[in-house]
Amino acid sequence: MTKKVYVGMSGGVDSSVTAALLKQQGYLVTGVYMKNWSQDLPGHHCTWEEDYTDAKKVATQLDIPFKLYDFEKEYRSLVVDYMVAEYEAGRTPNPDIMCNQEIKFKLFLDTALADGADMIATGHYSRISDGQLLSGLDKNKDQSYFLYRVTEKSLQKSIMPIGELEKPKVRQIAKDLHLSTASKKDSQGICFVGKVGIKEFLESEIGPQKPGNIVDQNGKTISSHEGSIYYTIGQRHGLNVGGGLPYYVTSKDMKKNEVYVTTDLDSKSLWNKTLELTDIHWINLPPQKNAKYRVRTRYRADLIDIDSFELTNDLLKINLKDEVRAVTPGQSAVIYENDRVVGGGIVI
Amino acid sequence: MKKTIYLDYAAATPTDEAVVKAMIPFFNNLFFNPSATYSPALEVKRALTEARKKISFHLGAKPEEIIFTAGGSEANNLAIHGIMTNYSGKNLVVSSIEHDSVLEVAKNYDYKEAPVDHSGLVIIDSLFELVNDETVLISVMQANNEVGTIQPINEISKRINSIRHKRLESGNLTPLLLHSDAAQAANYLDLHHSKLGVDLMSLNGGKIYGPKQTGILFVKSGVKLKPLISGGGQESNLRSGTENVAGCIGLACALEIAQENRKAEYTRLSTIQQNGFSLIKDKLPNAVINGSIKKRLPNNLHITLPDIDNEKLLFLLDSAGVYCSAGSACSASSQKPSHVLGAMGISDQDARNSIRITIGRQTTQSDMERAIDLITEIITEKF
Repeated sequence: MTKKVYVGMSGGVDSSVTAALLKQQGYLVTGVYMKNWSQDLPGHHCTWEEDYTDAKKVATQLDIPFKLYDFEKEYRSLVVDYMVAEYEAGRTPNPDIMCNQEIKFKLFLDTALADGADMIATGHYSRISDGQLLSGLDKNKDQSYFLYRVTEKSLQKSIMPIGELEKPKVRQIAKDLHLSTASKKDSQGICFVGKVGIKEFLESEIGPQKPGNIVDQNGKTISSHEGSIYYTIGQRHGLNVGGGLPYYVTSKDMKKNEVYVTTDLDSKSLWNKTLELTDIHWINLPPQKNAKYRVRTRYRADLIDIDSFELTNDLLKINLKDEVRAVTPGQSAVIYENDRVVGGGIVI
Repeated sequence: MKKTIYLDYAAATPTDEAVVKAMIPFFNNLFFNPSATYSPALEVKRALTEARKKISFHLGAKPEEIIFTAGGSEANNLAIHGIMTNYSGKNLVVSSIEHDSVLEVAKNYDYKEAPVDHSGLVIIDSLFELVNDETVLISVMQANNEVGTIQPINEISKRINSIRHKRLESGNLTPLLLHSDAAQAANYLDLHHSKLGVDLMSLNGGKIYGPKQTGILFVKSGVKLKPLISGGGQESNLRSGTENVAGCIGLACALEIAQENRKAEYTRLSTIQQNGFSLIKDKLPNAVINGSIKKRLPNNLHITLPDIDNEKLLFLLDSAGVYCSAGSACSASSQKPSHVLGAMGISDQDARNSIRITIGRQTTQSDMERAIDLITEIITEKF
């Protein structure tokens, strides 16, 4: 029997091509625009209406049914509120990972199945094989990092056809099919914050922050900041201290509202040889003692060999073969076995 | 190349070639600031005076009653804010089918919305039930931008006159003023302010084959309002800023052409419109015509096509080279059905199955036939 697939269409070229390929492959495709956010921010126009229109145009071109799922309430409570709370606690969270876990591969999947779909599909540069998550073949675009928190069960009901392709090929397909999104620019940054940046967004959410001191490696106060939540460990900063070497954020004390920096890129405080992860999630089985794993601590960062690890309850201690610079609390560390995503957790 | 058919004249009109020609010198050798005192600047000032005079002539007004603005929305804003800030504590009544540039402004003040009937005509009795001793302003558009209904401005102004008499007798010194947004009407209707009985009236160059971001507010002598933009005191202190001379010249030229040809154009478009309606009834028997049939601009066809998703239909028409809209171009938003259709009692679902065709100077009978053929074809094949 022909399978019914609901494709999450964001109005971008990747999900447009996803829908087109699945239709070509003979699936009964329905396009769905997930409305997760619609609010304009100061200096940032939310383009949801344009994106919705682009998605619907492509659906019309492909002659497939099209729906809108309104997930604004859920996105707000599950993704945005989580993100803000994490920042307030001094960490640097990744809302896209949360969005995949809670919205795309849970809420969207459940809603689509309830509406009669057999499967869902997304335009992620990542592959699925027997309920396993594999990195996308385009090394520059691979999005598997953002997907490590989805479940095996949801992967068994999902398709990611463009994980097999490289981006230029995806654009070429869109062009050949005359899809109206063929030359649309890729979106950048956190979708709802856009180019205004996270600082403005957080300020609009939780109000202006208390200024505090920036302290250097010698314990000397060298400048002031407008809120320690805006600083990310490892971040390179001008710090408005006119001239001289760049500073790197080594740590923060949220209670004292102080940010610690160094000019020494070799400073011990910037380099980790061990990682501690909490809030662990494994897609299939947990990692095995005798296998060889690697870890990625940021999107598109190099994979680093794991020397050994120790798993207890919800804590994973990792010893790395080499030092890695600036691992940021709140960010995700994702563990790979070759090109397969095993799972991962949140850096403490 | 395939011929395209533009059917969205209520959203924008192509600028008349004569208008463009009239404007050009004021970008080139007549660029001077009309407030300057040297001789070429005086020439610019004279041209601006002429433009103002030309416009006032078509409104039966005095030149000093014409305030140039940057577009129709600004004229509406100036009218509502200008009056309401001058009479603080007073209230206003607007029709529920006004353009957003009236409705959204009214929301800043103590305001009430007068209902319309199913055909989109303001219910006069209901409107005046909302008027009390503190009401200083009533705003009702001359013709609606979405469904084209022509509003009974003259009857409203007669009722206002009798209220004014009563206020005079009872010693209530609050004036009761009538504002009308004539943006969509100016191509087809008489704009003489005394015939309409308006105290304030807005026009928009972009809807009458003139330049966009040009407009005027007619302000009857004696009517007091506060400016939105202060500065050099241009436009009788009501709209500061160096005049958009080329725009003003273009607007005057456009209004002159529109008003001189309005009767002939009314007749010509009425015929195409009526033929369009009969064709629609014939080929799309399920279609429902929205708005009044009799009291309607000759360029508007607004229809509901049951079970037809209007967004999808518009995309398909677009790829066939036919350009029309789902409603007011200002709210091309997908999830917010038009407040105008809502006020007429049209359900959100029906609103999502509706399209607006607005015709104009370049539209021919065969364009209309071809468009309706295409709509029929698309509906048969793609829905």
